[in-house]
Amino acid sequence: MPESDSNEFYVGYHPTAPLGVARRTRSFVIAALLCTVGLALVLAKGFGPLPRATFEFGSLRTFEGTISTTPYPALHVPRPGVIDGAPWTSRYHIVAPFKFGADAAVAEFDGKHVRLKGTLVHRDGRTMIELVPESLEEIPGLALSPEGPQSLGEHSLIGEIVDSKCFLGVMNPGNLKPHRACAVRCISGGIPPVLCVRDTDGRAEYFLLVGENGEPMNKAVLDYVALPLEITGEVERLGDQLILRASAESFRIL
Amino acid sequence: MSHAYRAVGWNRQKKVYDRILTLGVILFLGLFMGVGALLRPNATAETLMIRGFGAAAFLLLHVILSIGPLCRLDPRFLPLLYNRRHMGVTMFILAALHGLLSLIQFHGFGDVHPLVSLFTASDSYGSLAWFPFQPLGFGALVILFLMAATSHDFWLANLGAPVWKALHMSVYFAYALLIGHVSLGVLQAETSPWLALPVALGLAWVLGLHLVAAGTEARLDRDVEGVEFEGLVDVCAVHDIKDKRARIVCLDGERVAIFRYDGKISAVSNACQHQNGPLGEGRVIDGCITCPWHGYQYEPHNGSSPPPFTEKVPTFDVRIRQGRVLVNPDANAPGTEVSPALIDFADKGAPDA
Repeated sequence: MPESDSNEFYVGYHPTAPLGVARRTRSFVIAALLCTVGLALVLAKGFGPLPRATFEFGSLRTFEGTISTTPYPALHVPRPGVIDGAPWTSRYHIVAPFKFGADAAVAEFDGKHVRLKGTLVHRDGRTMIELVPESLEEIPGLALSPEGPQSLGEHSLIGEIVDSKCFLGVMNPGNLKPHRACAVRCISGGIPPVLCVRDTDGRAEYFLLVGENGEPMNKAVLDYVALPLEITGEVERLGDQLILRASAESFRIL
Repeated sequence: MSHAYRAVGWNRQKKVYDRILTLGVILFLGLFMGVGALLRPNATAETLMIRGFGAAAFLLLHVILSIGPLCRLDPRFLPLLYNRRHMGVTMFILAALHGLLSLIQFHGFGDVHPLVSLFTASDSYGSLAWFPFQPLGFGALVILFLMAATSHDFWLANLGAPVWKALHMSVYFAYALLIGHVSLGVLQAETSPWLALPVALGLAWVLGLHLVAAGTEARLDRDVEGVEFEGLVDVCAVHDIKDKRARIVCLDGERVAIFRYDGKISAVSNACQHQNGPLGEGRVIDGCITCPWHGYQYEPHNGSSPPPFTEKVPTFDVRIRQGRVLVNPDANAPGTEVSPALIDFADKGAPDA
């Protein structure tokens, strides 16, 4: 076995290390710390960019509007200065704290004018409200009658199913395989699933996923979350949102 | 050495070691998270922490796995080995922080218990591309926990060296799980070569280092083909052994350390009772064979630690004949007293002290 040229011998419990050993170890430690700096910089650089997606954690706002409960809970708020042909309400999906949908919290308020408090989650012009359930109250005022769906025909779309809450900003990144388990948990808990479709420039469009009869399809999509998918179904415009009506049988893993 | 158990047997060298270790960890985490936040202002604190703790633990595991073979190849690395267990516990703490934050972030606050979710959120166990990577990390964390929890000499003494050693060798299984955890997890989402390349190089480094060290070890394990004389095997010349040092030979598959000291020759098993350190790479200090790993000591003529210590290693009968060292390949029971062979002036050969 190789041996140190010198007669020095390191014993850890001795008060000091032999001079030569201490000198060599010092050089090694300096080199190791320099490697640590280099690796920290390389690995920090290695991760990809993160989109601008915001969860206004700790900032509660008050909203007024009309509740709808299908296919997923939403708050409809009149848009100021509506241009002809544009949707006249904004539709904010409502979810409960943590990894749960707000179905139970809003069930008795369907079609009613309400005031509620919540935290905004937003990305790419899409906005969601994380509801403070106990703040929800019916208030006097005229309930809105939101627009009905407008069919845009049958399409096959390629994208990734994500949970709308994390993807819009509660987590960043809120998609791809490392986030898959969380997305499954959120969708299983009632968070609306959306199909995120990107164009060739990487711009995302979001399609709220519902069953063929417009029903929520949280449980049906769980096996497909975060996988590269092609889904064929009828695309509809509902206010300012796009909806994809499809059967899970049409899901094709790519 | 110690004959009574204390939570941490601090000494000056350990304190220096731990200060440098802490500095390294803080430096890595500070730079990784700080630069990460600057490069990606939209990153959340929990994302930076999960990534930072995970990367730091994985990097530190590579350092830990490198220390053993490096010391086999070059004893100048031995100061790194002395307090390696503190590095192991530090690595476990970093890994546990990564695991705990990930469990809360990805599996907590949902409709099933986080630990149930960990194993059931994704069931693509039949697909390599979509294989759930988080249970792999959990498995590694369990192993690292068991190692950290039993790292104290109390457990070494009570579990027994073979069980303890086997448990701690499972770090290689944990490493394999973590390679899977990283490759099937973050590397599938982050395609930058700045991540994949360091992981690949790290794996090649650990494997290469172990293969080279194993090759060196294999040469040691070739049985001595010396001439037998009255049941004893001629292993080397007296002058082949430096004063207060040893020559390691393999007899009937067992490594024997033959020490020369104070004009005498004694032979003991090469494996220290503490952690199987190579006694033959140690030296005789204050009349005792001193293990190069943690300084455990044994008296050469009986293989016993000096009182009040109680460790014992097997001894071997030894003789000198015409300047040659002869060793009986049958080991005596640990702690058996054996008369050292005395070196005559005529046996010394070339001066080599």
